[in-house]
Amino acid sequence: MSTFVYMTRCDGCGHCVDICPSDIMHIDENIRRAKNIEPNFCWECYSCVKACPNHAIDVRGYADFAPMGHSVRVRREEEKGTISWKIKFRNGTTKDFVSPITTKPWGKFIPKLADGDKPNQGEINSQRLYTEPEGLNIDGELPVVPKDSFKKGVYY
Amino acid sequence: MAKHKTHYEDCDVLVVGGGMAGTGATFEARHWGRDMKIICVEKANIDRSGAVAQGLYAINCYMGMQWGENQPEDHVRYARNDLMGMVREDLGYDMARHVDSTVHMFDEWGLPMMKNEETGRYLREGKWQIMIHGESYKPIVAEAAKKSADKIYNRIMITHLLMDETQENRVGGAVGFNMRTGDFHVFRAKAVIVAAGGASHIFKPRAVGEGMGRTWYAPWSNGSAYALPIAAGAKMTQMENRIVLCRFKDGYGPVGAYFLHLKTYTQNANGENYEKKWYEQTKELVGEYIDHHPTPTCLRNHAFIQETMAGGGPIHMVTTEAFQDPHLETVGWENFLGMTVGQAVVWASQNIDPKYTNPELTTSEPYVMGSHATCSGAWVSGPEDLSPPEYFWGYNRMLTIDGLFGAGDTVGGSAHKFSSGSFTEGRLAAKAAVKYIEDKKAEGLKVSDKQCEDFKTKVYKPLETYTVAQNEITGGTVSPSYISPIQGLQRLQRIMDEYVGGIATNYMTNANMLKRGLELLAWLEEDLENVGAEDYHQLMRAWELKHRALTSQCVTEHTMFREETRWPGYYYRGDHMKLDDDNWHCLTVSRRDPKTGKFSMEKVPVYHIVDENEKKKAS
Amino acid sequence: MLGTNPFSVLAETVSPFAMQSFIVAMIVLIALGTIIQMIHHKNITYFFNNAKKAKLQATREIGAGEKASIIAKTAVVDIGTTSELGFGKRRLSHVLGMYGTIIFWISSAVLVFCYTGADKTSSSMWSVLWHVGAILTCVGGYWFWFFLRVDVSAEAHPWYRIIKADLFVLALLACSTFGLAWSYTQFNGQTGISFLFLTLFVVSNLVLFGGVYWSKFAHMFYKPGAAIQKNLAEADGSRDNLPPPAEAPEQFGLGIKREEPKHY
Repeated sequence: MSTFVYMTRCDGCGHCVDICPSDIMHIDENIRRAKNIEPNFCWECYSCVKACPNHAIDVRGYADFAPMGHSVRVRREEEKGTISWKIKFRNGTTKDFVSPITTKPWGKFIPKLADGDKPNQGEINSQRLYTEPEGLNIDGELPVVPKDSFKKGVYY
Repeated sequence: MAKHKTHYEDCDVLVVGGGMAGTGATFEARHWGRDMKIICVEKANIDRSGAVAQGLYAINCYMGMQWGENQPEDHVRYARNDLMGMVREDLGYDMARHVDSTVHMFDEWGLPMMKNEETGRYLREGKWQIMIHGESYKPIVAEAAKKSADKIYNRIMITHLLMDETQENRVGGAVGFNMRTGDFHVFRAKAVIVAAGGASHIFKPRAVGEGMGRTWYAPWSNGSAYALPIAAGAKMTQMENRIVLCRFKDGYGPVGAYFLHLKTYTQNANGENYEKKWYEQTKELVGEYIDHHPTPTCLRNHAFIQETMAGGGPIHMVTTEAFQDPHLETVGWENFLGMTVGQAVVWASQNIDPKYTNPELTTSEPYVMGSHATCSGAWVSGPEDLSPPEYFWGYNRMLTIDGLFGAGDTVGGSAHKFSSGSFTEGRLAAKAAVKYIEDKKAEGLKVSDKQCEDFKTKVYKPLETYTVAQNEITGGTVSPSYISPIQGLQRLQRIMDEYVGGIATNYMTNANMLKRGLELLAWLEEDLENVGAEDYHQLMRAWELKHRALTSQCVTEHTMFREETRWPGYYYRGDHMKLDDDNWHCLTVSRRDPKTGKFSMEKVPVYHIVDENEKKKAS
Repeated sequence: MLGTNPFSVLAETVSPFAMQSFIVAMIVLIALGTIIQMIHHKNITYFFNNAKKAKLQATREIGAGEKASIIAKTAVVDIGTTSELGFGKRRLSHVLGMYGTIIFWISSAVLVFCYTGADKTSSSMWSVLWHVGAILTCVGGYWFWFFLRVDVSAEAHPWYRIIKADLFVLALLACSTFGLAWSYTQFNGQTGISFLFLTLFVVSNLVLFGGVYWSKFAHMFYKPGAAIQKNLAEADGSRDNLPPPAEAPEQFGLGIKREEPKHY
């Protein structure tokens, strides 16, 4: 598959190069714009497509098995917390979808643990993790299994 | 050859890999190690790296203890059943009792979780799964890791672990190279948490052109989770337990939401429910395991494979009924868009509208990883309060090398943890790693410059090989003196495919085939001394290949060792076709000697810490 | 020095007619290079085929008046302020370089055609503009060259690595730099050195305008065309098959997009 870059839209900003989990979006030496250098290592994860500020990247399904004439395009809008998709079949059928991508302002409710309350003395020796046991929303402590119930080997 | 700068960095906790497990470890480490230096090193960019790059549409591991939906022991029974009895129940219970707090944190951080309108609870897709709009799952958890870490390094591939030179069998850090700057990086660390990727692309995939990219598990998961500990001499477990997935054809799109939420079902090309046809035959292979409910994943695969081989294919999923409901239709499509966009692309390209067409299914090529309906990985200590003495040696999730910890796909035996469980396992490993350091177990660490320099030479060798070899030929890719990373990869994939139970043989193998496979893998190992890389990107591919090759050797050794067919539908031992509880109701553990390269294998008992009768809790 | 017309001193040895012919020749080179490139690459064919295809996806008609206003707005905002580069250093450096070059070229032509020669007075204003244009080009261009080129910033290539895509910006920088050096040394009476810089200035111009076929020069014509097509497609609903912007308030701030694309 894979991703490809529209000549008229790419301005060489490098966001796709920066984000690609496969390290396959790189800069062409002739025109200083992005291109996919290894389509057979492209997962169609759309990270680059979503990251491109100019919507310059698109996807053409893998040549091994995807006939031509389709289109699956996306618009990820962080400030609105939405992602919008437009699917177009080879036969022209279209489908549109919009989903949320966050319920809170980005990062605002993710704690900086360095500034949070320190664990109690001796807590490091317990089995509790950060926020526990309250964070489990159960009454009482972490579940545990008594060791005398352990059975070795086949039990069926 | 250009001289490469070396950067040295000392730290307390080094997290290798910034995926779900790595971000969990990095995040939690700060809480317990307030004044510690915590570093995470990621091969790509932590905002989208790992298997969750494109997002997820469900969190497949959530107990719901707060609503009495499930208890950890239920999950242990489920995972144990699905893996035909072969799991580390202590690790599984431990993960399951903590995973709810992880999921609640994700909710607080802003991950959109679907809610059941009537009850107000997280909307269940199935017994263990809850549905999310998780397109930005990875960026959200990455932010949590960034807030905890002293530094996140991106675009650095860790190639080797460093060992302490004062005390035997103790880890000293890790080394790698930056694929942008080309610099060498040495991280000396008191504790190392390996949270790297499992192994895709070690078996030949069904699509071999561009379509190679459309693996079920991310193509950038190159088995570093295994190769790093194996090379350092750590013990591994269950590496034979590769996973095969039944998914939508070509795109390998997920079927979970379809089966569980849309209540779709499969049928063969004649419209028959084919699974029942294979009941007797399966019973002959595995005995009463086929009567367990739910049917283990591998056995469902097995029926699929048998049916296809008997000529009943192509097998379809019946969606035309469910898709008439517009809500379910939306779920069906968004399921892909938030998790495997490629499947939507495939259907759009082939005019497949599930409202009118029942899409085709297929079984994939095998993968080796540790967080799904499979649990290959490193042999680790469990938690003190849950582990039988044979499974505990001081620190939770520590491997058999002191100071070396694992989480996520790295860890063997803790199946069905998925994204939330991997993040949780990262948290467990991080706390244990901090305790290890506080207990002064990392005192007196020494990593010499010589050890680092030796690794440096090794790491950059492929660049040198390529440059020198170019003098021999006019141009092109064919050389008698070096192989390129893709050439090596295709050779590896073919060996595994033909001899170790890939799709070429319908997942069949036997001792003779495995022996041949090991021979060919040994030659490949030799030839990989001559892999040539043209630039830093190719150098990264070269090291991905080396990690894959080492992982493959381990997988083949394990497959040879277990003389039974424990998981028909994942793979078959033609010379031992039946499940053999008398001799093989145990875990397999291996260790590769770093000096000789030889693997030694042993059986390790399975402890069942949870009984088989489900005690219904009063609600 | 800034108010001195460097071409006036040159006119003592080189006839204004020769200088004017040179400028005309450069313009012809631009046209030739661009036209040959367009013929070879068939980019006009592609462009209009694409526009026709896109029209089929249009969901609404755009009237002539609306079309005209979109084109005008595109010219002022997208083209005039290089809005496609977003907010930041790349856009600023491009705008500096773009207007610097435009001012430099126009003032070169005006100086040579109107204010150079025995019978002509000089113009302090146009001379200043000529120098300012060159300086702005250098500021924007060198900033881009050393720090902002994406292969340098995102791929960590060293600033001294030269690729084919650098032909345009390097030639432009050479022209402005050697032009300024020539003016400066000529003003200070350093005849030998100033002749050297003049030669380099002429050669740089030949490379710049002669290299149009191989460089990104002509993209400064294509990009405005693309911008107009893009804005028209946005208006008529075809939008290159993209989904429309979501109807939701902007309330969550920026996530991964808040950082520069340089994480290594």
